[in-house]
Amino acid sequence: MKLRRPILWLLLGLIVVASAVVATPGASYARQDRGATLATASANHPAGTDALGRDRLVRVAAAFLLSLAGAIAASALTTAAAAGVGTLAAFGRGSLGWGLMLVCDVFLALPWMFLLMMVRSALPLTMSPVHSAAVTFVVLAALGWPACARAVCRGAMQLRTSDWMLYTRAAGLSGAGVVRHVIPNLFPLLLPQFLISIPAFVMAEANLGALGLGVGEPLPSWGGMLFELNNSPMLVATRWVYFPVILLVLVLLLLEGVAAEA
Amino acid sequence: MTGAVTVLRWLGRTIVIVLLVILGSTILVRFAPGYLSDAREMDSRYAATARSELAAEAARSRSISQMFVAEMSDAARGDFGTSRQFGVPVTELLGSRLAVSGALLARGIGLAWLAALCAALLSSAGRNPSLMRQAPATVLLAIPTAALATFCLLADCGGPVLVMALLLAARDFKFLDRALRTAWMEPHVLQARAQGASAGRLLLGHIAPSLAPQLGALASLSLVTALSALVPVEVIFNVPGVGELAWNAALNRDLPVLLGVMIVMAFAVTCSGMATPRSAEWKSA
Repeated sequence: MKLRRPILWLLLGLIVVASAVVATPGASYARQDRGATLATASANHPAGTDALGRDRLVRVAAAFLLSLAGAIAASALTTAAAAGVGTLAAFGRGSLGWGLMLVCDVFLALPWMFLLMMVRSALPLTMSPVHSAAVTFVVLAALGWPACARAVCRGAMQLRTSDWMLYTRAAGLSGAGVVRHVIPNLFPLLLPQFLISIPAFVMAEANLGALGLGVGEPLPSWGGMLFELNNSPMLVATRWVYFPVILLVLVLLLLEGVAAEA
Repeated sequence: MTGAVTVLRWLGRTIVIVLLVILGSTILVRFAPGYLSDAREMDSRYAATARSELAAEAARSRSISQMFVAEMSDAARGDFGTSRQFGVPVTELLGSRLAVSGALLARGIGLAWLAALCAALLSSAGRNPSLMRQAPATVLLAIPTAALATFCLLADCGGPVLVMALLLAARDFKFLDRALRTAWMEPHVLQARAQGASAGRLLLGHIAPSLAPQLGALASLSLVTALSALVPVEVIFNVPGVGELAWNAALNRDLPVLLGVMIVMAFAVTCSGMATPRSAEWKSA
């Protein structure tokens, strides 16, 4: 509890700084300065430029905001899907619960990276960068819910057999009425799941991008910047190429800190 | 009798899961918007050939049931079909690469468990969880696999086994440290310590048996984590294993190879999942 506020404030501070960098007049993550490719830090480009002369600081800030927004949205979708499936599995009639948990098992039987690769690679080659970013996070959300749904199902099962639930049912409440009472009681379980998913999705996007299957260029992303590390001339020219990686690790540490404290 | 029923039920569940994986993967890939597109279409030299191949593929894959039956018959024949990219049976591609990936996984997981166990034993001996002891694992867990692999490659220090071991050791250490810390505080362990029982005897006689179910779950989790880390590690270090094969197949939309890899993965993960209930049964026996 002691650590919670500094971590949260630091994260919020980073978001404010990144937003300010992106919103600075004239700042553009796609504009190329052909006279200053692979430049080191200068007044014009505080974190240098990449191989195409694009400002690294602006790109890192935009990648941070994009990744965070995408991961939060994907995490919200995943948590909502898991809440729905988990509750349905726990309260559903007949073999519905068994069937839903079997679907979860099928998803969980495949390592994430393989599933992500398969789905992401089967998308059209002509997709726009914005669509590729949206699809990447939607795919992450679509594949991330089973583990969370299992935990929710276990929690909902406990609720189903709790005393207050028995009283509620005995009082004549059924169907949607029961679910309306169950969902708020699952919030203590759903909030950590939501917070844990955010760094997991940020990391998954970075790993996918490093394999060339993430967000499309020229849109900046953590994965795209990791992909830059394969460019040997760039590594020799400037050490600033490591800046995005260091910041990514810091952001992941902060996000995991927030999740751990929740 | 109960044991035989358990094994039969597990076998049935594994078969159902593998069948659903085949069906799900087929549907997923077939209905993906980019399934009937090919990078060669953008090159005028190969565009005509690519389009005729895609038209043939579209005719072949018009019905999901036909595709599923075709994939199943390929699997039943034992070759999982023929790779579109390499033109050889998928089993031929998988066979040699499974050995490479298997060796990498075995060495990585073995090294990770050894490191995590030693670190957790040392760390859990302390009175309170120390931030300094936890920090390396926390930082390692925050580094994406691809970044860690790239750094090791650029720094020319360590190889794929070390990267895999570091990633797994960090996760395993956190789990083991927490479990051991709780186990040392169990009332019967505290009493045995007060009576002068040695640490080794306590570990082997009391703590290890009580941790067996959790260790089973951790082993299963280690395998799943290692399989996910396999792709970036093998791609970045250019290791000719299953992860690299799957990556190539994904980039080239080689459905038979992807399906073959998926089936192997699903089988491995489902088998490893058996460790958890089995160890719980052994404990209660």
